[in-house]
Amino acid sequence: MPLINFAAREINYKIVYYGCGLCGKTTNIQYIHRKINPSARGKLVSIATEEERTLYFDFLPLSLGTVKGMQTRFHLYTVPGQSYYNASRKLVLQGVDGVIFCADSQITRLDENVESYLNLWDNLIAQGDDLTKLGFVIQMNKRDLTDIFSVEDLNELLNHTQSPVIEACAVSGLGVFETLKIVCKQVIAKTA
Amino acid sequence: MAKRKGLVINDRQLDLCDDLLRKLKDVTGSTFLALISTSGQPITTASDDYHPETLSLASLAASSFAATQQLASILDEKEFTLLFHEGKSSNLHVSQVSDQVLLIITFGRETQVGKVRLYTQRAIEVLRPIFEGADEENEALAVDDDYEATAGKAIDDLFADLEG
Repeated sequence: MPLINFAAREINYKIVYYGCGLCGKTTNIQYIHRKINPSARGKLVSIATEEERTLYFDFLPLSLGTVKGMQTRFHLYTVPGQSYYNASRKLVLQGVDGVIFCADSQITRLDENVESYLNLWDNLIAQGDDLTKLGFVIQMNKRDLTDIFSVEDLNELLNHTQSPVIEACAVSGLGVFETLKIVCKQVIAKTA
Repeated sequence: MAKRKGLVINDRQLDLCDDLLRKLKDVTGSTFLALISTSGQPITTASDDYHPETLSLASLAASSFAATQQLASILDEKEFTLLFHEGKSSNLHVSQVSDQVLLIITFGRETQVGKVRLYTQRAIEVLRPIFEGADEENEALAVDDDYEATAGKAIDDLFADLEG
């Protein structure tokens, strides 16, 4: 749910990158941090293990500037993808406005993708949220690799909400901003 | 499309909060105070000359506090209502105001933890009602279609020419 501070003329939206371990959530947020105008972003905070795997979350605040007199911000978070970090994922999901589900397109990661997608639904339902009432985009990442699923197959597996789907390669940045742009517009539309 | 309702703060609420934070700051001798949402977003701050990076602080404090709630659950405790970190020269105190709001206080060695706890507890009793019933009071306030259209254009501009 957005924080709308009429007195301070601020609106803050929370967007969470979700998906299985090593699917590219942190790579997305690091690419955004590298490429976006530094005046439009805050500090990138990462709580990671020594092996640079996300332990709790990454956090990057983006500022859209002043819209109709309201300072508008998007707070981007990632969750830890490994299955045993579910308690942490639940905490990061609290107060979420939009979710980017980052799917690993590799055929060998099928089970992990499905498990993570079902886990997302479980966690949202447990906190009283409904994915159809949030911003939601599916990003099919790692499209540059060989032995990957077709978009149609992944769509059938992971997209029964008929949500927007973006093909991406987070390492090179392909699709990264396109994905973010869609979810940013969605979260505003859901409160407008 | 279903409309989502979040935490909405109006002028009256913010004035009351700012006034109370300033009083709490003076009476406790603390260096920095902030009200934040439980989802990690800052609402307002009070400080004279110490200004930490508030967005990161709010995000980390809310996450830490949420983690302590889960720790309480694992230990069969109903809830832990505060989080305290003691440092060499500064301390961090995070306490729950309401379901959606937390209060962060940083203070140095020149003040005592007990004093901060005592006055914070009293301040929370005053702060809590400010946020209770806020939804009803703010029902008329909304992000409208005009805002959506202008924000959409701003999003296009912000991300223009950045695609890999």
